Amino acid sequence: MDLRLSGIAHRYGDLTAIERVDLTVGSGETVVLIGPSGCGKSTLLGIAGGLLAPGAGRVETAGAAPAGCLNPLTYVFQDFALLPWRTVEGNVALALEHHPLTASERAERVDAALALTGLREFALVYPKQLSGGMRQRVGLARAVVVRPAILLLDEPLSALDAQTRELLMADLLAIWERERTTALYVTHNLAEAARLGDRVVVMSRRPGRIKDTLAIDLPRGARERPEHAAAMADLQARLWRLIEDEARVAEREVADG
Amino acid sequence: MLRIAVVAALLVSGAALAQTKTSIALLPLTSSAPVFVGVDRGHFKAEGLEVELKFMQSAAAVPTAIASGDADFGVTGLTGGFYNLAGKGAVRIVASQAREETGFRFNAFIVSNKAYAEGLTRVDQFKGRSIGLTTIGSTFHYVFGRLAEKQGWQLEQGQLRALQTVPAMLAAVKGGQVDVIQAPPPTGIAIDKAGEGKLIGWVADHVPWQLGALFTAPKTIAERRPLVERFVRAYQKAAAEYDANFQKGAPGKDADALLEIIAKHTKSIPEAVKAGLPYIDPMARLRVQDIYDQIAWNKANKLVDAAVDAKTVVDLSFVAGHLDLPR
Amino acid sequence: MAESAPRPVAFRGGGFQPSPRRWAPWLAFAAILGLWQAASAAGMLPSLFMPSPVEIGRALGSLAASGDLGRHLGASLYRIGLGWTLGAAAGLAVGLAMGLWSMARAVGIPVVSALFPIPKIALLPLFILWFGIGEPSKVATIALGTFFPTVVSAFGAVDNVPRNLIRMAQSFGLPVAEIVRKVVLPGALPGVLSGFRISASIALILVVAAEMIGAEFGVGAYILLTGNLMQIDRLLAGVVVLSLLGLAIGAILGRVEAWLLRWR
Repeated sequence: MDLRLSGIAHRYGDLTAIERVDLTVGSGETVVLIGPSGCGKSTLLGIAGGLLAPGAGRVETAGAAPAGCLNPLTYVFQDFALLPWRTVEGNVALALEHHPLTASERAERVDAALALTGLREFALVYPKQLSGGMRQRVGLARAVVVRPAILLLDEPLSALDAQTRELLMADLLAIWERERTTALYVTHNLAEAARLGDRVVVMSRRPGRIKDTLAIDLPRGARERPEHAAAMADLQARLWRLIEDEARVAEREVADG
Repeated sequence: MLRIAVVAALLVSGAALAQTKTSIALLPLTSSAPVFVGVDRGHFKAEGLEVELKFMQSAAAVPTAIASGDADFGVTGLTGGFYNLAGKGAVRIVASQAREETGFRFNAFIVSNKAYAEGLTRVDQFKGRSIGLTTIGSTFHYVFGRLAEKQGWQLEQGQLRALQTVPAMLAAVKGGQVDVIQAPPPTGIAIDKAGEGKLIGWVADHVPWQLGALFTAPKTIAERRPLVERFVRAYQKAAAEYDANFQKGAPGKDADALLEIIAKHTKSIPEAVKAGLPYIDPMARLRVQDIYDQIAWNKANKLVDAAVDAKTVVDLSFVAGHLDLPR
Repeated sequence: MAESAPRPVAFRGGGFQPSPRRWAPWLAFAAILGLWQAASAAGMLPSLFMPSPVEIGRALGSLAASGDLGRHLGASLYRIGLGWTLGAAAGLAVGLAMGLWSMARAVGIPVVSALFPIPKIALLPLFILWFGIGEPSKVATIALGTFFPTVVSAFGAVDNVPRNLIRMAQSFGLPVAEIVRKVVLPGALPGVLSGFRISASIALILVVAAEMIGAEFGVGAYILLTGNLMQIDRLLAGVVVLSLLGLAIGAILGRVEAWLLRWR
C-alpha cells in the first residue's frame, strides 16, 4: 500500500511547523525521515496516520492492504505507550479486542506476534518488569498483530541504549523482510537512517520542508558487512553535511526560543 | 491546725489592707443572678474579695474549670458529668444556686405543634414520646427521669434525642422532630407566643428539685477555708437581696436596678430577664436530700459511677440551716 | 602533584535511603504506653484528666463485655458505610464526568470550588431541617463530606491519565467508549483509590459530628456522652475504638489497593 502526502502544511498558533511537504512512500518501501530537532518530522508523522489534522494538504493511501489487515496505518511510539496495568499479552491483544475476531483467532494472532518479537515467554509479565528494549518489542508486537499495511515509526529506538538499538534494528529488518510492510520512519539518528532506509528524506529546520532525498542502493540486510563499511561511512557523512547547518541553526533557535 | 489559723489570720488582716483576688466560672444565664448581684452591688467587695467572672461555653465546662484550677468557684446546673467529677474529688458543693420550687415558674415543658395536635396536651402523657435533650445526663434528662418515676412509667433510652445544644433542641421541637423538650425561660414563653410550639406546664409544678449549686475544689476548702467562708457569706447576702426584690410578691425597691445588672451580664434586656428569673434560696440553702436523690437516680441509670458517695459531694459547713437533711 | 604514598579513598556515600523497620513502630508504641503507665502509677498524671492505659483498657473491656461496643460500632459502621458509599459513588460519577466531558468540567469546577470549603459541621442544623434527626441526616453529613474530595480526586485522576496512552488507543482505532473503559478508567484508578483513602478518613472524622444529632448508639455518640459525663477513661476508650477503626479501614483499603494496582 502506498502512502501519499501532498501539500501538507501545519501551524501551531503563530509558529509554522511544516511549510509544504509532498512525499510518497511506495508499497513495501521504507522511507526514513531525518531532520534537526523541532523540524516538524513528528508532526508530519502524526498527520500521516490521522492523529493530527493538517492545516492544509491531503493524506491518502492507495493500493490493497495485506490479507487480514485490521489497522492499515499503525504506529510504533518512542515512549512505547504500553498500558502498565496490562500484561505483555494484554497489551498486544488490546489492538484486536474491538475487532470481530473469534477468541481462537485472537489468541493465534497474539501468539504469532509474540513469537515474531521473541516475547512468548514474557506473555504474562507486566511492562514494568521488562527492560526498555523488551518494552519496545511489545510495541512492535502490538503493531504487527493487526497486520498493518503501513508502519509509522516515531523515533522508536531513541529511548534505548546503543546496544539495544542494534539488536532492535536487526529485528525490525527481519520483520520488514517477512511482512513487506510499507514504513515511514522518523529519527534524528543518522546511523539508523543509513541502516534502515530505502530512501532517506532530509527535512530543513523549522518551518519544515523537504531539503533533499537520498536513495540507498545497498541491500538492507547486507549493509553492516565489512566490505560496505566505507560506503556506509560515506553515506552517513553525506547525510551529516546535509543536516549539519540546519541542526546548527535549529539548535540556536531552540536555545533562543 | 496552727498553720491554718496563721494563714486565716494573715488573710483576714490582709483583707483590711487589700482585696483578695478570686474567680468564678459560670454561664451568662439568669440562674447565675446572685453572683452578678454580688459583684455589682458590692457584696463581695464588702468581704474583701475581688471576683473575676469567667464565662464558660457550656455547663460541662464549669466544673472542669474548677478541676483544672482555672477558677476558684463555679455555679451551674447539676449534671451527671458534675457528679462524676465530684465523685473523683475534683469539686464539692458548698451552697445552692437555682431551684425548681413549687409555686415559682422557671423551666417549662414545650411540646411541638404536631404532637399537640395529636393530643399531647398534658404533662402526664410523655410515655413513649420522643424527648429532645441537650445531652444524656443533663438537667433536662434528670427532670424527665424523675417525672417518669413519679408518674410510674418507664423512660426508655430509645425515646431520648441528645441534640448537644439548646438551639438545636429548640429547633427540633419547632420543626416537630421531637415531641417535647424543656425550654429555659423566657424562650419557652416566646415559642408558645409565636405559635412555634405549645407550653403545657412548668417543671416546678411537677418535679421541684435543686437545679444548681455553688461549688469549689475540696483543695480550696482544705487550704483556703476563710476564702470560701467569705465568698459564701457574700453570695448569701446577694441571694437575700435577690429574694427581697423578686420573691416577695411585689417587686422590691431595687428590683429595676437588679434587673439592669442581670441583663448586663446575660447580654439581655431587663424585660426578658424579668420573665425568666429562677427561684433562689434567700440563704443559699440546699435541699440536701434532693442532691442525694439525684446521685441515686444517676447511679441507677449508670450515668454516675457507683463509687460516688453523696456525703463527699456536699460540704454543709458553710451555710447554716440547709433544708431536707437526709436522716 | 608531588609523588606520595597511595591513599585510600574514603567512603562518603550511603544514607538517605529509608529502609523498612517493621519492629520500630511497635516498640515506640509500647515504650510510650509503658512510660505513660509508669507516670500514672507514680502519680505524676492526675487520673481525673489523664487516666492510665490500664484504666482505659479496663473501660474498653467493660464496654466490650456489656455488649454495647458492638452496638456502637455497628451503628457507626452503618453510617460510615452508607454515607461513604453514597458520597464516594456520587463523587466518582461527577468527578469522572468532569474529567471526560468539557461541559461537565466547565460547570463542575466553579460549583465544586464554591461548595467544597463549606464546613459540613456548620450545616448540621440545616441537615436537621432537611432530613430530620434520624439516620438520614447522619448519613447525609458523611455523604456530603466525602462527596467533594472524591470529585476532586477523580477529576484529577482522569486529568492525569497520560495523553500518549489515549493517542495510542486512538491510533489503533478503539471506539471512544472502549478508550474510556480500557485506558482512562484503569489509568485513573490509582488517583481514585488514594482519593478513597482520604474520603474514608473524612467519613471517620465526620461520624462524631454526625452523631451529635440525637444518636442513641455510635462510637461518636459514645465519645460525646462520656465527655459530657466526664468519664474520661471511657471517653478515651471511645477514642481508641475510633483510632482502631481508622487503622482497620486504612489496612483494608491498603489491601484492596495493593490487589487492584498489583501491576505497579
